[in-house]
Amino acid sequence: MFVLGFHFPASMGNQIPDELVAEKIAGVDISGVKEIKLLMGTKDKDKEWLSYTNNSTFLFRAMVHYFKEENPDNLQKYMIYMNRYQMSAISKRVDAADDETMKLCHNLDSMEQFRIELA
Amino acid sequence: MAGAASLRQIAFYGKGGIGKSTTSQNTLAAMSHYFGKNIMIVGCDPKADSTRLILHEKAQDTILSLAAEMGTIEDVEMEQARLWGKGLFDRETPGGWINCTESGGPEPGVGCAGRGVITAINFLEEEGAYDEEGLDFVSYDVLGDVVCGGFAMPIREGKAQEIYIVMSGEMMAMYAANNISKGILKYANTGGVRLAGLICNARMTDKEYDLALELAQRIGTQLIHFVPRNNIVQHAELRRMTVVEYSPYSDQAREYKELARKIVYNDMKIIPTPISMDDLEDLLLAFGLEDEVDESQVGKAAEA
Repeated sequence: MFVLGFHFPASMGNQIPDELVAEKIAGVDISGVKEIKLLMGTKDKDKEWLSYTNNSTFLFRAMVHYFKEENPDNLQKYMIYMNRYQMSAISKRVDAADDETMKLCHNLDSMEQFRIELA
Repeated sequence: MAGAASLRQIAFYGKGGIGKSTTSQNTLAAMSHYFGKNIMIVGCDPKADSTRLILHEKAQDTILSLAAEMGTIEDVEMEQARLWGKGLFDRETPGGWINCTESGGPEPGVGCAGRGVITAINFLEEEGAYDEEGLDFVSYDVLGDVVCGGFAMPIREGKAQEIYIVMSGEMMAMYAANNISKGILKYANTGGVRLAGLICNARMTDKEYDLALELAQRIGTQLIHFVPRNNIVQHAELRRMTVVEYSPYSDQAREYKELARKIVYNDMKIIPTPISMDDLEDLLLAFGLEDEVDESQVGKAAEA
């Protein structure tokens, strides 16, 4: 079973508890990251920049982890659809109290493409 | 069964027209190019379109057509029936390689296409194709549903051990996915076949991810990947290439690379728990893709 790209052994079943996914990203270094910038939209259509700054959430940490993974030059990175849908699904359960995060999750659930940068 | 103990035999099943051959070739291309895997494709579709993107050809000669031309299957040579991939997938190119075969089928309206699959697999076994040095994966690309026992042959005979079902959020694709799960269940105990995951080849319909995920969980498996729709797939196909070869740094190539990585490392192989047709319809209702119909209105035309 794969969640956010992490492999969980088959013996854990097909529904991985959110806490176990959160454990995988607990060690990610978010210091120095003030803002996550997301470019939403496809190549041939209008694009929109979204800004996300709430660094106390699961979603923030998951996105920073996604950006940094296999990206030594810190280049703008395409977001794999499945990963961002999974980030949103978990965030809607664990960050539900935060309106800014829920608004972003609503965008992440769309069919648009996303690219991510850190600032 | 010939072949190394570590040889994995996988199969891509799914409703006709769902994009099975495109998905399988792009995924196998990524497994070969990015992960160095050596692969044999056994196309099990009378259309013989399971290998064209790897070979950069319209369609290769099928094993059945070669047998018809030569007189008998015994006269067919391996070099005629099995071709090496072109470009990135040639055995002389660094990285993994892919070789290609197509079973073929009878003329439309005549005979059983499943027999072509049986004949092809027997031929390849007898000719030692499964014993090729370094072979990591055999991949069967199988037409449509398993309502025909012939197309269930790779499952029935214990050839394909891991089944990936290509589906979308449309009702008939989900119906077919559930039906294929029934076929896997039927042969799971005798042949050891297992369901390894659903691949959503997205139509970009409303709530498609949620629906595919829910179906996967209901039948006891995983949604292993959601492949978004992207025009670059068609652009690559016009050149008879996979996206991995046509544009290896494109967003879509990254999607196939991720799916390939998951298949390479996948250990979730389960006996599925198919759901009833009523449950399937309830699922579509729950996700708002079908409007609940008043029973009194069934069979009545729309009002002007």
